[in-house]
Amino acid sequence: MGAILVNTLTFTVRFSVALLIASMGEMFNQKAGIFNLGCEGIMSMGAFLGMLIPFSVGGAGAVPGYVNILGLVVGALCGALMGLLFGLVVVTFRAPQGIAGIGMQMFGVGLAGTFFRSFIGGQQSITGIESVAIPGLSKIPVLGDILFSHNPVVYFAYLLVPLAWFVIYKTPWGMKVRAVGTFPLAADSLGIKVNRIRYQSLAVGGAMAGFAGAFLTLCQAKQFSAGIINGRGFIAVALVYFGQWHPVKILMGAILFTFAESLQRQVQMFGQAFPYEFLAMLPYILVIVVLAFNRKSNKFGPAALGKPFNREMRV
Amino acid sequence: MKKLIVSLLIAVVVLGAVFAQGGKEAKKSEIKVALIVSSTIDDKGWCQAMHDGIVQAMAELPKGKIAEYKAVENTQPSDTLTAIRTYVNQGFNIIIVHGSQFRAQVEDAAKEFPDVMFAFGTTSDVIAPNVFSYMPESEETGFLSGIIAGMTTKVNHVGLVGPIDGGDSARYNRGFVLGVQSVNPKAKIDVVHIGNFNDTVKSGEFAQNLIQAGCDVLTGSSQQALGALRAVAEYRDRDIWWVGQDLAQLDLAEGYKCIAASSYNYKAVLIGLVEAFDQGKLGGEVIPMNFSNGGFEWGWNTAKCADKITPAIKKAVEDKLAEFKKTAGLVSNWSSVDYSKL
Repeated sequence: MGAILVNTLTFTVRFSVALLIASMGEMFNQKAGIFNLGCEGIMSMGAFLGMLIPFSVGGAGAVPGYVNILGLVVGALCGALMGLLFGLVVVTFRAPQGIAGIGMQMFGVGLAGTFFRSFIGGQQSITGIESVAIPGLSKIPVLGDILFSHNPVVYFAYLLVPLAWFVIYKTPWGMKVRAVGTFPLAADSLGIKVNRIRYQSLAVGGAMAGFAGAFLTLCQAKQFSAGIINGRGFIAVALVYFGQWHPVKILMGAILFTFAESLQRQVQMFGQAFPYEFLAMLPYILVIVVLAFNRKSNKFGPAALGKPFNREMRV
Repeated sequence: MKKLIVSLLIAVVVLGAVFAQGGKEAKKSEIKVALIVSSTIDDKGWCQAMHDGIVQAMAELPKGKIAEYKAVENTQPSDTLTAIRTYVNQGFNIIIVHGSQFRAQVEDAAKEFPDVMFAFGTTSDVIAPNVFSYMPESEETGFLSGIIAGMTTKVNHVGLVGPIDGGDSARYNRGFVLGVQSVNPKAKIDVVHIGNFNDTVKSGEFAQNLIQAGCDVLTGSSQQALGALRAVAEYRDRDIWWVGQDLAQLDLAEGYKCIAASSYNYKAVLIGLVEAFDQGKLGGEVIPMNFSNGGFEWGWNTAKCADKITPAIKKAVEDKLAEFKKTAGLVSNWSSVDYSKL
């Protein structure tokens, strides 16, 4: 039983990373008043580029470490560009964010699939970034396996949580982001350039979504396939609501969701006479139940979330 | 002037309709094949097997026999009827809808277009007079994979990553269980389902769980299995192995972990469909696929896993394969496998 729990927790830490990074990025978007349903599409392009860079250099064989890191960086850069493109549509042209987000999702998934066919040609894999057991710490009973035997990017992702908290709550830029997401007219009257801050937030959020996609191909799946993101972008958006727009609570949400996923895998392996379809639904049901019962969520949400800013209008 | 323009427009429309109709009549005997798949035609699995079969059949049939072939990928059940209608409007007359999740759409389309031949898999039900159903009896391939797994495992613990418990995957998976039990009754068999056909990431996560739980030989069905195979390949220096459900897996970078694989041979199915079309028969039958009628192929990975293919394993598999080739339906008890009792 102990081994099962250790395995469940180990996989929870490892497999929550893509969701964690993407939802942390989406938090920046939403804090600035924009919700980006296109996260799924941006993750898809990040995933494709995360695969393309090392595959172009070394095929399925090993490549120098910096090539893999370059894959993560290029995935993030592409995400930032897509975030800016989304900004052009919803900030400058003030298109409805929900519809534009769905469009961005379809655009990203379709583009990634098309490029994959053109540049790689079919199902291939890469060596990717290997897990590293931290000397000494990985030998600690129980905790060593759960916390200190992961891919280096896993640790980086967890460090993003305090970093995001610091940026949002302790820096002037973070304050501006919260201001334009809460009361953009007031922020504008104080000289804050609302649209510029929203563009910057979308670039940061997009970069993190692209990075999360690249993480999936470089660190977890080690391959790309059409539809590899498979709804994880939407879960990332839901986790921001789940975590009430706070980095630490979003982290808890990502861990809880992934723990439920890991747990259902373990339950299936017990071979009990229990419908696996229901088990597969459990993590999603959990998100819905928590959102439904967490009535205070709206109080924590950015007041201007989803509302385009027009300085000529008074509302 | 206005009357002249209107008259000219009417004349153009009428002539266009006449010539369009004439063209259609002239091409009525042409065979145009369309394929609708849920994944991609290069997924090294379920969809690629059908695509490859069509391409091979086109090469084998007289040149021009199939005038045109088109495939639409990444199709959801909700988009299927639209795709079918588009193809019918373009004159396609054999439409293959490849995946058990599309059944309701095929039933509707068959009623809407009674003169078009549909092929649908997998099911062993007769659906309509203009639908050929095909059913891979994958319990046979699963059984062979199970023999290898049962004889290869050193810890008497093997695992299976399935998509959903339905269609040919359900048959393959249960055949695998019976195959393991036939050679190693003491082996523990963990069976998991990821809940869909395409999520290779989730498939890899499940495989990691199985490996951590102690499984040292894994298998998986459908295109999602590539994620599980990749997870097995992560354990480069450990004695953890894979048995595949598509011969294309032997050629992948991860192929060094794949001891053997089976594959569907859809070429024969397609040639059968074309022959039936020529005879004016559009459906109303089930086409079984098994080793006996050439519906399956089997391959060893002698290039990369020769040391895992022991004489005992090879003999056990080859003997059973010879039985399957001689007689179909030998694993008819596959449906009796109850995962909760493993």
